[in-house]
Amino acid sequence: MKDNELKFSLPMLDAPRTARVRFRKVGNLQYISHLDLQRTFSRVLVRAGLPLWYTKGFNPHIKMVFGMPLPVGAESECEYLDIRIEREMSDEEIKDRLNAELTHELAVAEVYPAERHFCEIAFAEYEYTVHTAGADEALTARVREALSTRPLTAIKRSKSGEKEVDLLDFVHRFTVEATDGALIIRAVLAAGEGNYLNPDLLITALREKTGILSGDPMQESYRILRRRALLADGITEFR
Amino acid sequence: MNEKISQVLRSVQKPGRYCGGEYGATIKDKSAVKARFAFCFPDTYEIGMSNLGMRILYGVLNREDDIWCERVFAPWVDMQEKMREHSIPLWAHESGDPLTDFDIVGFTLQYEMCYTTVLQMLRMANIPLRADARGESDPIVIGGGPCAYNAEPLADFFDCFSIGEGEDNLVEVTKLQIRMKEEGRYTRAAFLHEAAATIRGIYVPSLYEVTYNADGTIAAITPKYDDIPARVEKCIMHDLDKSFFPEQVVMPYIEAVHDRIMLEVYRGCIRGCRFCQSGMIYRPVREKSPEVLNKQARCLYDATGYEEISLTSLSISDYTQLEPLTRALLEWTDRNMVSLSLPSLRVDSFSKELMDRIASVRTSSLTFAPEAGTQRLRDVINKNVEEADLMRAVRTAFAGGKTNVKLYFMQGLPTETAEDLEGIATLASRVVHEYYQTPERPKGRSPQVTISVSCFIPKPFTPFQWEAQDTMEMLEEKQAYLGSKVTDRKVRYTHHDAKVSRIEAVLARGNRRLGAALELAANEGFCFDAWDEFFDYEKWISVLERTGLDPAFFANRAFGLDEVLPWDVIDCGVTKEFLKRERARAYEGNTTPNCREKCSGCGANRLGGVRAVCPTGCGGAK
Repeated sequence: MKDNELKFSLPMLDAPRTARVRFRKVGNLQYISHLDLQRTFSRVLVRAGLPLWYTKGFNPHIKMVFGMPLPVGAESECEYLDIRIEREMSDEEIKDRLNAELTHELAVAEVYPAERHFCEIAFAEYEYTVHTAGADEALTARVREALSTRPLTAIKRSKSGEKEVDLLDFVHRFTVEATDGALIIRAVLAAGEGNYLNPDLLITALREKTGILSGDPMQESYRILRRRALLADGITEFR
Repeated sequence: MNEKISQVLRSVQKPGRYCGGEYGATIKDKSAVKARFAFCFPDTYEIGMSNLGMRILYGVLNREDDIWCERVFAPWVDMQEKMREHSIPLWAHESGDPLTDFDIVGFTLQYEMCYTTVLQMLRMANIPLRADARGESDPIVIGGGPCAYNAEPLADFFDCFSIGEGEDNLVEVTKLQIRMKEEGRYTRAAFLHEAAATIRGIYVPSLYEVTYNADGTIAAITPKYDDIPARVEKCIMHDLDKSFFPEQVVMPYIEAVHDRIMLEVYRGCIRGCRFCQSGMIYRPVREKSPEVLNKQARCLYDATGYEEISLTSLSISDYTQLEPLTRALLEWTDRNMVSLSLPSLRVDSFSKELMDRIASVRTSSLTFAPEAGTQRLRDVINKNVEEADLMRAVRTAFAGGKTNVKLYFMQGLPTETAEDLEGIATLASRVVHEYYQTPERPKGRSPQVTISVSCFIPKPFTPFQWEAQDTMEMLEEKQAYLGSKVTDRKVRYTHHDAKVSRIEAVLARGNRRLGAALELAANEGFCFDAWDEFFDYEKWISVLERTGLDPAFFANRAFGLDEVLPWDVIDCGVTKEFLKRERARAYEGNTTPNCREKCSGCGANRLGGVRAVCPTGCGGAK
């Protein structure tokens, strides 16, 4: 039986510290919204018995800052959460305690001292696995061409309303190949604050332009996996 | 979850309702278990995940190595459409397997208006609707929960019902099925007969013959075999300190209606309000000890990380150990930033001290339930609350900084007069007046008193089970009358839909003949009738008419005191003699002391019970 009181016996730090948590959100959990994920983590952090720092106001609460948004229906290996700790506990122990309270679909990969601000994330690398009819060389070429020929238009929705954009403005680089009857698209897309592309829009645009995924929805499927968060150079991994 | 369902989730609202994968869910190897139990909640995921009974029974069943219990919820209408479009049958949350793969499919029946959703779920699962149409390979369909006390309207669709507290008998039923299958002597008929004959609290409707008089009332309910009970006695857990307690909770990702720790403090209620079914069917009152509760609360906190603990029971301030319990809890909850809430406060026990201690009262609003507008009528219903109590409670609340008070009332109660209705408006105005008489009230703010008025529905196993419900015209007229009496601008008046209340009364006091109407309703696509946006009164009246049933016969008729009632086949502990006595006292305007003051001889204490609040008979706390 775990004991949530243990945290009170740990030595206090001179000042609260930030621990960065990198976790995955895959499988069934791609359908959990950001708001629900926040609520989930607020409880996971508590039951993991972490020595959390609480705000000192009238209504004390813990501090959680999440990295870039992930749309419902996309999976990720690189979700980030910053938490504040006020007593001594190693990153490794934080990781183990969190993983004891999570399922494998939301497992923590790494806990470490933050090196950069979330606002320095500029790109993210995605892997699309598209199970669609006739995923062969010809289709690969069609998709490749669509991703190289301006404009690849789509309607982008934001707080300020809808507007038509050229998705290629958001595509940094890509590769397309066909393996085992599936189309694999790897793409580095804009993922910065104020310059962010919902990765699902690429599927929508490609469906319209190349006809992928327009057969029987019970026979065809796709998966979007965010693999890495990258800095402005499009190469260096965010830490 | 299978790929088919997963892809569909891209195109429905709130996919988090369906995706599963929750922390704390029980996953077993289906080839290594002997029985699979699908526990169905006939409403949405958010509502079902708030249900404490489901949490307990899920844990009880999964504690058995050879049983795997999974959860099933009613898919919302957009999902139902996708399922039809892609031929996806109703699936269980953990494995994603269709319900036809299961050995037992159980439904918890929490409110009458869920019946059509139950039937829709059976249809979505491709399980034959009628019990007599099911084959040997179909699952056994069992029902439980408060509505199982009169499940006669559902008798055609269920193989059996579990009456009372199901912790023991659901496991026994499942184990019996395993045993009979292993011994090679399982047939549906043999199994149901043996379950009815050997397991307490199991009611198999098909084994009882119901005959009717010419006027449509019941002539007799007769068991078809000698070895099954003429009346099925409900099950209770004798010692709540020792009964199963789920230490592992399935944590929903999306927000459940009650997204907090629910600590069940005791079962039953000492009060005996004469309209209240819960106050009767959960007797005898059995408490948990504060030590056990504190330990369980701690355990739930460690297992969930919830920031709020709600002490649940029918009337929390009647718990004899409330002081030691809250003291023990506060020793660690404050330090961990966990708040306490008490959802069921009575006005006569509401004190400043209690208010200071409890989080729910840190909000600006408080709720009390005087139920009736005059002392005379409150005595008739045995509410045992006086106006002075209410005034004291609201004064305390106002002095403590509250400005909003919500008051629950019921209209259409037996013996109700215009004066009683007017009394509701008057009482609300007096509460407003009390605000301005309270010197410590919040300065510069005005009070808001909301009166929420529901319609009286006669329920089985209450002293008012024989009463006629007001006709809909009367209910609506009374609603308008009360509305005209609410002139105070600080008072807001809301009321329930009389139409829903009428259909609820029909189902609550219905007999087996209603099965035909429910079947027609299911075939015409009725679902989610507990949701205002789907309830259609005209359609209900139409299905009743087309099946030759008169709603007034069930809802608006005074049942004869000597009439055989559809639910006479069930023994809920409380005797019919007691209910008749209470009814007579109601008409005399006499109140009955609560169980702690004086035993009123309801009969439930013969069922036993440890730490039972009953001064005679069961040797419980004095």
